[in-house]
Amino acid sequence: MKRLMTALAATTCLTAPALADDDKIIVGFATAETGFMQAYDKPAQDAAMIRIAEINASGGLLGKQIEVVNADTKTDRAEGAKAGLTVIDAGADMVVVSCDYDFGSPAALAAESAGLPSFFLCAESIKAGIQGVGPNSFSASVLAAVQGATMAEWSYTKKEARTFYRLLDTWTEYNKGICDGFDYMLPKLADATLVGEDTFLNEDASIAAQITRIKALPEEPDAIMLCTMMPGAVSAIKQIRAAGINSMILNGSGVDGSYWLSAVPDLSNFFVPVQGSIYGDDPNPDVTAFNAKYKEVTGGDPSTQYVYPGYVMIDVWAKAVERAGTTETTAVVAELEKMNAEPTLFGPRTFTSELHHQNQARYLIVETNAGKPGVVDEWTISEPIPVADLMK
Amino acid sequence: MMSASVARRTFATPVLLGLLLIAFALVAVAVGSKPFNQTIIDIFLKVIFVVGLWVFVGNSGVISFGHIAFACLGGYVAAWTTIKPMMKGMSMPGLPDWLMQTEIPYWGSAIVAAGWAALWALIFGSVLMRLSGIAASIATFAMLAMVNSIYSNWESVTAATSSVVGIPIIRSIWPYLVAALISVFAAWAYGISRHGLALRAARDEPTAAAACGINIPRARLIAFVISGAIMGMGGALYSHSIGIVTPDTYYLGLTFITLSMLVVGGMGSLSGAVLGVLILSTLIQTLRWLEAGVQVGETTIALPGGVQEIALGVVMILILMFRPAGIMGNKDLSLPKRAALETKGPKSPRT
Repeated sequence: MKRLMTALAATTCLTAPALADDDKIIVGFATAETGFMQAYDKPAQDAAMIRIAEINASGGLLGKQIEVVNADTKTDRAEGAKAGLTVIDAGADMVVVSCDYDFGSPAALAAESAGLPSFFLCAESIKAGIQGVGPNSFSASVLAAVQGATMAEWSYTKKEARTFYRLLDTWTEYNKGICDGFDYMLPKLADATLVGEDTFLNEDASIAAQITRIKALPEEPDAIMLCTMMPGAVSAIKQIRAAGINSMILNGSGVDGSYWLSAVPDLSNFFVPVQGSIYGDDPNPDVTAFNAKYKEVTGGDPSTQYVYPGYVMIDVWAKAVERAGTTETTAVVAELEKMNAEPTLFGPRTFTSELHHQNQARYLIVETNAGKPGVVDEWTISEPIPVADLMK
Repeated sequence: MMSASVARRTFATPVLLGLLLIAFALVAVAVGSKPFNQTIIDIFLKVIFVVGLWVFVGNSGVISFGHIAFACLGGYVAAWTTIKPMMKGMSMPGLPDWLMQTEIPYWGSAIVAAGWAALWALIFGSVLMRLSGIAASIATFAMLAMVNSIYSNWESVTAATSSVVGIPIIRSIWPYLVAALISVFAAWAYGISRHGLALRAARDEPTAAAACGINIPRARLIAFVISGAIMGMGGALYSHSIGIVTPDTYYLGLTFITLSMLVVGGMGSLSGAVLGVLILSTLIQTLRWLEAGVQVGETTIALPGGVQEIALGVVMILILMFRPAGIMGNKDLSLPKRAALETKGPKSPRT
């Protein structure tokens, strides 16, 4: 027993908390360094590090250098809470938490109870913010509902889609969010009709039954709103096309990226909303420059648009700190909430005292044509989705 | 009178284990670091789970894969009873009105959770306890899968797979220590009660025990209900320790880590259950610190990520190679003199 206690005592020395320092600003990353969430957290975190390096190179924030502390959540909720507490103990002025609401919230709740601001790297549920954590919590991405609403309104206006079919994969909140946004937008579009709807599960090997019902329609719908995500999305898309259904397929940002396109050769008439283009054709040349920088730092191109929210996050937070003249939570949160269409590399961002998330955002529309994705348009939904509709 | 003398003879065990737990708590207070505090809270929760598991598995000899289901039941009781009514209405609109308006403190929710889990243990147990051997084990696993599916899909009452937030977070170490002490003493008291002794007799010699008039299903059921209650209490406190609850927290991951702690510590004794948790948790934590990197002079030494899981597996294999009955085997911690007496005593069957 004595040996056990000495071992314990010895290990505790290693965790002696670093004291908050006045000549530097500390950003704490309580994110997944191992486990499946790492695939989502790492790219966004790399992008955040690029913005931090830029700020430090241009003289720092409030004249201080930004330092980073890390703690691994191991893609585990209980470890997430510990990781949050670890970076808080290390003196973090702001806590960055895992991409997904479920895995990021324990650390965000720890930050909230310590009175610190927290940012989800790329969560797209309304709960990642005031509604599910507290008044000092933000998300760096855009609500999933905006993606569904954007696709509905854009395809209606630009592609004259009038008949829609809604196919929902009930696996995650994210998927449901996309379809919720679609449901919100559709009734606002005159003479657009929903000709049918169906659900499936991400892990379903076959969606033959759902496809049969689409085929049974008197006319092929103009567009299919497909609310799903990886890995099930690929199989669903493949089966829809293999069945000879050539309707436009509208998606959320979750299927962005070209890594899976070889599984569905010559895919066409396929549309994805993205915050920035990874294909080198972003209308903003600075985004392409960022992609090059990302490749230089990490050795690879961004694989999906989910890299970008990490950059936006540090960008808006640093601006708020600069304007507040302090890293003190209430002042920084107040400055963030004053942001109205604040320009960023990836479109304007707005935060209010009601919503720490984007309920309206500029999206680039990426069309995949004969297996080649490229930006074809951009769209901002005509009005923000009301918070009351998002809470349903 | 037999029971009283057994109590006197074995009282040192829960006291020593309790002192050990208190020592862990004092270390946490002395260190004063928040993440370390949380780590110790986590260890206490595991102690509760593994002791709960031991009450049934250790005494009956039937391996249960389903006990984490009771922790799940308990975890959701914490969500149902402690979240502010307004927030509950948003995430779990299907709750009955009286439950929607209920808002009780965390210790109240732990007690209710214990009762709720015990109730379901009684219902499930009255059927399952008639089975024995591997059939019983698989049936408990089926129960876990069933509870998990219900809680993952009953949208209006459990918010399905979404995280339920708003559970008050308790970061103080003392409630967890008290709960761990309660479980240890309850497990000990059950172990030396006539029901506990009867069940152990049935474990070692079922035929003889039945011939002596022991109703085996009933004896097992009593253990099942008590262990269900302990698991339920642990589940509720687990929710309070991180502030959110989801069904997949209480599924295979937690089931296997708690079972391995029990097996490595030694299924045959209460001390094995507690020490299994303390030793394996300390090991896991040490490896995690090594993964995070240790400053030695100028250089930082860090193990590659993921080594912790591998090393833990290797250590468990080694322990079981050299001590197949677990670290403690069938022995309990006791004062030296008593231990000497004990070994001379008639009962020390090896399983």
